[in-house]
Amino acid sequence: MRILLVEDEEKVSRFIARGLLAERFAVDTAKDGHTGLQLATDVQYDLIILDLMLPGIGGTDILRRVRHINPNVPVLVLTARDALASKVENFEAGADDYLTKPFAFTELLLRIKALLRRGPVSRADVLRVDDLELDRLSQRVKRAGQRIELTSKEYALLEYLMVNAGRVLSRTMIIEHVWDQSFDGATNIVDVYVRHLRNKVDEPYENKLIRTVRGVGYSIGCESDQ
Amino acid sequence: MNARSIRFRMTVWYAGLLAGLLILFGAFAYVGLEHYLHEMMIESLATQAQQIGELLKNVDASGEAYVIDEVEEHLAPESRSRFIRITRPGGGTLFESGPPKDRGFDPAQLPPALLPPRETSREIELPSGYDLMIYMLPYPSPAGGQYVIETGAVDREIDEVLHGLAIALSLALPLVIGVAIGGGYLLMRRALSPLQEIAHSAEQIGSHNLNERMPVARTGDELERLSISLNRMIARLEIAFQHISRFTADASHELRTPLTALRGELEATAQYPQLPPEVRETIGSALEETERLSKIVQGLLAVSRLDAGEADMERVRLDLAELAAATSEQMRLMAEDKSILLTCDAPGKVMVDGDRARLKQVIVNLLDNAISYTAPGGKVQLRIRATAHRAVLEVEDNGTGISQDALPHIFERFYRADKARSRQMGGTGLGLSIVQAICLAHGGEVRVESTEGQGSLFSVSLPLANQKG
Repeated sequence: MRILLVEDEEKVSRFIARGLLAERFAVDTAKDGHTGLQLATDVQYDLIILDLMLPGIGGTDILRRVRHINPNVPVLVLTARDALASKVENFEAGADDYLTKPFAFTELLLRIKALLRRGPVSRADVLRVDDLELDRLSQRVKRAGQRIELTSKEYALLEYLMVNAGRVLSRTMIIEHVWDQSFDGATNIVDVYVRHLRNKVDEPYENKLIRTVRGVGYSIGCESDQ
Repeated sequence: MNARSIRFRMTVWYAGLLAGLLILFGAFAYVGLEHYLHEMMIESLATQAQQIGELLKNVDASGEAYVIDEVEEHLAPESRSRFIRITRPGGGTLFESGPPKDRGFDPAQLPPALLPPRETSREIELPSGYDLMIYMLPYPSPAGGQYVIETGAVDREIDEVLHGLAIALSLALPLVIGVAIGGGYLLMRRALSPLQEIAHSAEQIGSHNLNERMPVARTGDELERLSISLNRMIARLEIAFQHISRFTADASHELRTPLTALRGELEATAQYPQLPPEVRETIGSALEETERLSKIVQGLLAVSRLDAGEADMERVRLDLAELAAATSEQMRLMAEDKSILLTCDAPGKVMVDGDRARLKQVIVNLLDNAISYTAPGGKVQLRIRATAHRAVLEVEDNGTGISQDALPHIFERFYRADKARSRQMGGTGLGLSIVQAICLAHGGEVRVESTEGQGSLFSVSLPLANQKG
């Protein structure tokens, strides 16, 4: 999978490229609009990440021209502008997704993967992490065969964590998926719910699955990290 | 009627002044007329006395009987209600008029004349309440010695004239003042009505519609100048305000890119598995601060957009009561977590036109604030009701409350009543500013009442949805 990253901020470009490389993507970077447009025209990319504020040609112009040449390539727009009008303009120009700076890398990654329609957006009916099992059809949760009763919010939170098992999800991402943006002010609602969820899911068991990554967010067990 | 309005005060002053002047005028007229009438009467009495004196000049030749006849005939004191008495030089009455027709006085009851050194007048109070004015003229007798000529009249007519004047004045004065008050009030209202319009339109202009101007009253007078000056002031405010909100927006915007890099680098670093725990801890702490910085930037941008009227506001009809009930349900666990009883009292539908997500944010921020500042075991109540024209949303807690010093500043950006505590709780210092900005953008307002140590009451008031529209 080959991704074009058009971003003029050296450091932003570098950490995104590094993160994507670690996820085994091939990444080309462009530091200005002209180079970006040139690359987008010459190479068949699987996905383009496009910053809006660029020297040379602006991001929205590039988007229009890319769409002219290649109507199918997914384009994810990065921007420091979050006005609704700007969003609408870019969706109309053909953007597939939109991410406002600053963002958590995990969020960028999840959105890229969603656009490429490949994992980890699991469509499985039963999600498993270690001995924890979540059945999406019956909405039942079991650990080591024992039934666990969850409220609907706790269930939604656990499902979101388990679908993205192994990834660190930021509080903002959790709020936006499980609640809505209105809660993204000052509240510690995520921490409260995670604590309640832990009491039910982890407390009685030796092996703790829900992990806090300080400064970043929460993740549920397995894989590389422990 | 507002007792402090210019119209009212001007009218009162003007009417008071007019009343004072009229009373003064009336008093002068009364006293002046009284004085004048007395003078006139004394003058006429003096003339009579002089006439009698002329008769007495030749008394030796004509005889006393002639004098008496002349007096009776020409002066007719009884029929004209006059008093005439002539006293001989040695005492003894030469002539005394009889009781007058109207029995106003009895001459026989009057004290005898004493010889005055020169002409003089005196007043004798009669049982009827009127005064008998007597003019006394000493007149030299050709035979030597002095006659005393007395002429007198009752001042009843004078009193009647003055009484009439007093009645006329006391009737006319209130009438004139009343007309003056009414007329003055109407005149003032006419003259000041542009002022009311100016005040009304100035009232409509807030931070979200500084681009609007007030209608200029083309009257060519001070009021036109006032409205022009006010418009210029609004224009200057608009420029200053645009400056600030542009700056805030630009600053927030410019901060985002470096924040993205910072966050990305830190997150990437945190991925290294071999990091020593202290370093992991430090990076985590740095990431937390980055997160907070992002929220501050986001909040600032949101507030400045709302203030500048640039926010993309949705306007849909929604039931505030239902929104409040649903939101408080979502916040319930946060309250229970602190053993706080959260109740929502939303008995009926309360329809407003507004931005659902933003109004929800108002409820979330107010509830979050109330829960944060209420001790375990406390109570937080959310109430929604509709008054005649407003939807009212109240959040009341029995928590720590807000000191009187802090109360006026509570909605200011970054204002923290208890600095150490709120920062420790990780707030951005913008929650209540956002609440206020959202309320204002909806044409509403938010107020707070609080007693330190007893709790706070935040009340949001929004315009109810127009039933027809």
